Amino acid sequence: MRLGVTLAAVLAAAAFSLPAAAADPARGAVVAAERCAACHGMDGKSNVAEIPRLAGQQAGFITLQMILFREGIRQVPAMQAPTEKLSDTDVEAVAAYFASLPSAPPEDSTPRDAALMARGQAISAARNCGVCHLPNYAGRAQMPRLTHQHEAFLAHTMTEYRDGNRVGIDTQMNGAVQGLSDADIAALAHYLAHQD
Amino acid sequence: MKKLVMGLTAVMLAAPALAQQAPVPGWAVGRPEGSTLAPHAPRLTVTPLAEVPVGAIRLPPGFQAEVFAHGIPGARMMAEGPRGTVFAGTRAIGRVYAISRNPDGTTRTRIIAERLVQPNGLVMIGDSLYVLAANRVLRYDNIEANLDNVPAPVELTAAFALPTEQEHGGNHHWKFASLGPDGRIYTNVGVNCNICEFDRDKFALLVSFNPDGSGRRIEARGVRNSVGMAHHPITRELWATNNGRDWAGNEWPNDTLHRVRQSGEDHGFPYCTAGDPDPQFNAGRNCNQFVKPAALMGPHTAALGMRFYTGTMFPEQYRNQAFIARRGSWNRDKLSGYDVVVAHTDAQGNVTRVEEFLTGFRDDANQRFHDRPVDVHVMRDGSLLVAGEQMGAIYRITYRR
Repeated sequence: MRLGVTLAAVLAAAAFSLPAAAADPARGAVVAAERCAACHGMDGKSNVAEIPRLAGQQAGFITLQMILFREGIRQVPAMQAPTEKLSDTDVEAVAAYFASLPSAPPEDSTPRDAALMARGQAISAARNCGVCHLPNYAGRAQMPRLTHQHEAFLAHTMTEYRDGNRVGIDTQMNGAVQGLSDADIAALAHYLAHQD
Repeated sequence: MKKLVMGLTAVMLAAPALAQQAPVPGWAVGRPEGSTLAPHAPRLTVTPLAEVPVGAIRLPPGFQAEVFAHGIPGARMMAEGPRGTVFAGTRAIGRVYAISRNPDGTTRTRIIAERLVQPNGLVMIGDSLYVLAANRVLRYDNIEANLDNVPAPVELTAAFALPTEQEHGGNHHWKFASLGPDGRIYTNVGVNCNICEFDRDKFALLVSFNPDGSGRRIEARGVRNSVGMAHHPITRELWATNNGRDWAGNEWPNDTLHRVRQSGEDHGFPYCTAGDPDPQFNAGRNCNQFVKPAALMGPHTAALGMRFYTGTMFPEQYRNQAFIARRGSWNRDKLSGYDVVVAHTDAQGNVTRVEEFLTGFRDDANQRFHDRPVDVHVMRDGSLLVAGEQMGAIYRITYRR
């Protein structure tokens, strides 16, 4: 495990090709209290399955998604008002704030199902999930952390990508989940949500 | 090369055994075990001027670089209006910028269009700016007189009838646009996958249209995804850059530069790439039956925006030569590209050499990059603009004897 963490840290560092802007997590906390906390929780640990957990999420991922919401490119009605007229600096600050919080598994996790875990693990290996999201699924830069996320939210997200209802910065995710059945996605979500 | 083919064969032979599981998508076949290659994160927030890496730029003797404009996240392909406004398209952030010069030499940037899907293709015809955003084609008439109050554009989408984002499956649906010497709009229709079987009359094309969207003509087939094209100022032939496929190794294929001598030529994709048979999709085709690339542009370098230098500020040796922005690799273990190169041609229009022009953005020692050049534009004064997408900046290159 320690090796995994070290490796992930090295890879994450290598992926940052540019010096990170001086984002201010303290300012981010102020903005988060006004705009984010009501749904995502001030601790970034939403306990509503449809609302993603942001604690420990990659700052690069949060930043890009908030820009896409603000610019009307990724259309999720609930995210429209909270990102409206938010400055780039505040977006980066909010991202830095949530990224700085420790992540933890949801309290309402489903019990671990051995068959689903095995099937999910096999699909993750075949689809190379760990290549981008790293073998410990902590994510890096614009590629999100998958662990400690709601299982239902992960399944919802992958279904959106599969059905072409969501496109990221590029179409890597659409390709990665192409052709998966609902049962495949459910198993993959179960496996990813139950990583330590 | 042989090892790669054998590796792929092994993967394909093994595939039926996995058939009861979800199939591996075509694009992922050939991805080496344990690879951590992934696209680099774009930056869609404003980069402060102090962080714009103009100081990293290296140029041949006599050339200087300055920041022309900054604070324009995701700035990509450029077009210039008759009054000197520089327009810049984008991809993910969905905006079109207008950059005008103040009397004191500083610039002012306005957002003239937003919430568009990949508005990357810009072309100026007279006073009208055409914006190609995936399959949408919008015409902004008399745009430079209305920068503060942009009227609704004329919608030409139905007339052009380009394949939709959905038909592309989200793959290579962004456009480059260029005005031909014949007054037609030239653009690309990229392939709807990394590599696959596809309709060769519909995808992987260079096409041209009358400005009203009528008279579609296929200029070249089998060009995977061109995001840069220009007509040679003397021969009037169409030239285009092209992005090679992913996941076939660090050194293969090269990105390519294409010269179209005759409308309708076949340049070979997916059967042949960079003059070689594709290891998966050759389908028994002899690559000699296709037009060979005019030049190899380096593996995975992402050769994008290109223009011939028609100004007089630069030394004579650059006149009518092709300046090409290479955005830089992601699908390669060691970074390649992140520069601007010049493809020199002889009197017959054959490429004699490709040489580096603008370097310094790629940090080989640390495998990092400072910016990603995506387009070049020759200003009327002969200076050259270079759009840096990563840092949302446009650099201006000048020459002093």
